[in-house]
Amino acid sequence: MAEWFDLDREEEQAVAAFMARVADLRIPDPGSRLPAAAELWCKAKLLRQWEAERRAQWPLDIMQRVEIAGGLVAAGLLLYWSLPYF
Amino acid sequence: MGRLDEAAFAAFHARTSRPLRAYVLRVVGNVSDADDIVQEAFLRMLRADVPADTEEHLRRYLYRVASNLIVDRWRRSRHEEGEEMMPELASPRPRYEDDAAVAKIFAELKPRDRALLWLAYVEGESHEEIASSLGVGRRGVKVMLFRARRRLRDLLQARGLLVT
Repeated sequence: MAEWFDLDREEEQAVAAFMARVADLRIPDPGSRLPAAAELWCKAKLLRQWEAERRAQWPLDIMQRVEIAGGLVAAGLLLYWSLPYF
Repeated sequence: MGRLDEAAFAAFHARTSRPLRAYVLRVVGNVSDADDIVQEAFLRMLRADVPADTEEHLRRYLYRVASNLIVDRWRRSRHEEGEEMMPELASPRPRYEDDAAVAKIFAELKPRDRALLWLAYVEGESHEEIASSLGVGRRGVKVMLFRARRRLRDLLQARGLLVT
């Protein structure tokens, strides 16, 4: 049974022939701007390290903010309690 | 098989970087963008620490990342520059033998169509493999590929390169 998704034979051949021509097109300057595998490996390693450091640092950053907020609240309460009653 | 080590990655890179670059370059149509995308795809694959079960699995992952980057870049450029204009179909008839004309006709297709046609005809991938490379559903690939082939057929017909 002919598939609804199929082009007719001639069209299919033309498309396939055209794609063969596309595949044969010259690739300009192959690989010149691409970094070598070793360079990519080192770069990825560095990026992974930074990500790991950032992930490890994240709870400390949050706690630092909590500390500052807690300090401000405590200072405010001390100031309030140290004021004489009206 | 576990994670990739440096030597295995070097061998994998040597085997895949050229075909991947050819694919990205034909879909993107710009050497500098293609090189950026290829580099970014390799970096993302390494950072994701994908299990190296088989080389084919890694290759699919790499093509999927590259295809997503192509689509992202295309969307961004479309957003910045407005809808891409389709070239006039009734422009002077190019010679089929002319490399520039072939590249120009192919460039008139949308990036997703170019990716589908390249993977199907040049890489010789099955529908299932294309679905995996592009990160789309297997059933959708058949329809998308049919539409891409039809659009290419229309372009060839419009230039008198296919007489029906």
